[in-house]
Amino acid sequence: MAALARNLWTIIRRDRMATVGLAILVGMVLIATFAPLIATHDPNAINERVEGVAVHHDGQTWRDVERIGDAPLNSVALRDDGMGVAVGFEGEAALRTGGGWTDADVGVNVTLRGVDTADGLTVAVGDGGVALHLVDEEWRATDTGTDADLNAVAVAATDHALAVGDAGVVLRWDGSAWSSLDAGVERALHAVTLVDESFGVVTGDRGTLLLYDGDGFEAVEGLGFRELFGVDALDRDTILAVGERGTILRLAGDEWQEMRAPESRDLRDVRLLGPDAALTVGTHGVVMRMDGQEWEREDTGYGQTLRALAAADGEVVAVGTDPFVDRLGEPSRDHLFGTTHLGRDIFSQTIWGSRTALMVGLLAALMVVVIGTNVGLIAGYFKGKTGSFLMRFVDVMYALPFEPFALVLVLIFRPSLAIIILAIGLLTWRTTARIIRSQVLSLSERPFVKAARVAGASDWRILYVHIAPNVLPLAFLQLAVAMAFAITAEATLSFLGLGPPQIYSWGTILHEARLSGAWRTAWWWIIPPGLFIMVTVVAVFFIARALEVLTNPRLAARG
Amino acid sequence: MRTFLLSRVLQLVVTFWVIVTVLFFLFRLGLPDPTLALISEGLSPEDRQRVIQRFGLDLPVWQQYFVYLGNLARGELGVSFYYKAPVGVVVFERLANTLVLMLPAILLSYTAGPLLGVLLVWKRGSGAETGGITLGLILRSAPVFWTGMLAIFVFGVTYGWLPTSGMRTLPYEAANWFDKVLTLDFLRHLLLPMLVIAAYYLALPMLIMRNTMLEVIGDDFIEFCEARGFSQRRTMYRHAARNALLPVVTQAAVTTGLAVGGQVVVEVVFSWPGLGREMFHAVRTSDYPVAQATFVFLAAMVLAMNFIVDLVYSKLDPRVTHEAAKG
Repeated sequence: MAALARNLWTIIRRDRMATVGLAILVGMVLIATFAPLIATHDPNAINERVEGVAVHHDGQTWRDVERIGDAPLNSVALRDDGMGVAVGFEGEAALRTGGGWTDADVGVNVTLRGVDTADGLTVAVGDGGVALHLVDEEWRATDTGTDADLNAVAVAATDHALAVGDAGVVLRWDGSAWSSLDAGVERALHAVTLVDESFGVVTGDRGTLLLYDGDGFEAVEGLGFRELFGVDALDRDTILAVGERGTILRLAGDEWQEMRAPESRDLRDVRLLGPDAALTVGTHGVVMRMDGQEWEREDTGYGQTLRALAAADGEVVAVGTDPFVDRLGEPSRDHLFGTTHLGRDIFSQTIWGSRTALMVGLLAALMVVVIGTNVGLIAGYFKGKTGSFLMRFVDVMYALPFEPFALVLVLIFRPSLAIIILAIGLLTWRTTARIIRSQVLSLSERPFVKAARVAGASDWRILYVHIAPNVLPLAFLQLAVAMAFAITAEATLSFLGLGPPQIYSWGTILHEARLSGAWRTAWWWIIPPGLFIMVTVVAVFFIARALEVLTNPRLAARG
Repeated sequence: MRTFLLSRVLQLVVTFWVIVTVLFFLFRLGLPDPTLALISEGLSPEDRQRVIQRFGLDLPVWQQYFVYLGNLARGELGVSFYYKAPVGVVVFERLANTLVLMLPAILLSYTAGPLLGVLLVWKRGSGAETGGITLGLILRSAPVFWTGMLAIFVFGVTYGWLPTSGMRTLPYEAANWFDKVLTLDFLRHLLLPMLVIAAYYLALPMLIMRNTMLEVIGDDFIEFCEARGFSQRRTMYRHAARNALLPVVTQAAVTTGLAVGGQVVVEVVFSWPGLGREMFHAVRTSDYPVAQATFVFLAAMVLAMNFIVDLVYSKLDPRVTHEAAKG
């Protein structure tokens, strides 16, 4: 046995194709073994992607959702001339000049949380104290002197802007540089609005609300403990602030009152459209309109989180996030082989599929070789009635075409891997039996067999101790051939939809692709599984070809 | 010779009987109640009873078995549950569809394959040989349903050169089968599936040819040919190849026998209304008469081709004696 193993190894090493084949096969075994580590996703998980969207209100109705970025949007600002700007995660920014929204490159990859524009000054702020000014269609970073995350910005004039951030940070832009102001609080500040250069409002954590008078801040006490995410003001007496769980605070005259909201979702932003009219947006697509004293829900047909709101000249834009199922995504860094029509990761499916292929291939091939070799040994050695009967049986087996019969077997006993292995194993041992038998026929006439018989060895001893070791190389060759066949057969049956539904195999992936109809466009869905089948089977064939030398040395001498 | 023939024919009949029996019980015991298919069409219990009686499904299984054998012997295949038409009509049309696809494919691959195989031996030791063998093995390894999908994707969808489904562009009118097939439109439909199958089959005759050629060119008569100053082309193709053709012929016969069932997956991928696809459909819908008939047909074809191979073998290769063939 050890000698045979050494012999096999030498043969494979000497043959370049076989070496390549063995390397590929070992690679496949490693992939199958470490499938859970290699797979980047759960093969059954429905993958989602998040994009930035804008919802427009043109004065009469809410229009369709428009996708305007690859990342969730945090803030939006509009000018009366129709110019718009929106910013979001991972340096996402979009500009609107005249027509539609276009992606803008801000040059940095940080999350931008606030943006505002007025009088030719457009500023965006974000994480790590980043502030960007839009000058001549180009974003330029300015030094803020802080590395705290900035959450919002408001512009009153070219030389007057306020930015607020975590830990009570407030910055003022004076036309040439940022300077720090003392807000008198340490809490995170979420929103800021400026009516003009001498009045503004800032809101933040735990009911924080600060009034700005152009120089310093005055805190309003007794407003509760909810986080306030958004604020807007028309003048000193008309202020609205919104926040956590449907909180709406209104300053009417000189008294703050809490308004009743029909929704208890988090509200992220608010805009006053007039003294008695306002809009607010929040999570789960909540949009509410104030008319006089009452808030009413509005239906925009959009159900995801809206983070910010801007209004100008009768037009309203709300921006937010849109996580959606990543259907039929082309190959990307996240999904190496793309996604299926259900948003499943094809790379992970293919990796998991290697387990099925190798397991079925090896087990079925072992079964084929064990049955075939034994039948061949017995039929070759006991030439009389036994041998004749066995060979007639093999003849019958030959008349059973594989594909159709495997199909019937699998359909009769519910699809499972065991049935597929059995179907392959039970239907394809016939070739091995024939080949081994003809070898045994010639072996049993050799002198060493006669010697063993004279020495008094029993038939079974002669067969399994003296003859069997001599057909082992042939059995190994048949093992390789059977394995190549079994892998293809499993893929074929699974392709026809006869594989177990819960287990991924390369055939199943192709079956789903065909069933969905999407494979006619989604090339990334059909190429990988087929390629894996092909490469694995070719590797086995390469090895098998080298093993033929064991049984037919003439091929080595001349090939 | 006559006893040899007689015993082979007897064997054939017995083998056939065994297969028919296995098939009968496999289907009858393994698959669900065939009338289920009829119930789904809104059949009342009384009507169902009548159907069961008409098809003889209320008889004991062993009695059904003998009825079945008797019908089979008379060439009566029954009526399809699904198509409500005689099985013979259904099966023969599908068979014709399959053959018109498979035979050209086999002819192509078993003509080109051996020629390429000889070329490989002729160029042995060169990069062309390694390349040829690798290409052959790759063609043989690529699952045929996958190459079919790729072919559809490239030539059908991306470039739109060829139709990818069915035998004719719908709607069409044809008085009979030949009317349907003898058109340019049909040829365009045939091309893709035929080439896909031919590519898959190509490697086997090529590699078999190469292996036997390697044995043959070691023989003395090749040296004589060379000594007589024959050109290499003449030595290779006229003398060596002729002597190496036998295993290829055998394989061709076996392949043709199996081809009757068609390549189920190719027919499925290309929506080719052939026997393989019909068989798949029949098994799935528990249409026993059709499923059984296709299987019986397949088995009969395979047996017949194997039988012919045996006979031809003993004629072509005098070394094969009838005694040995029998053993």
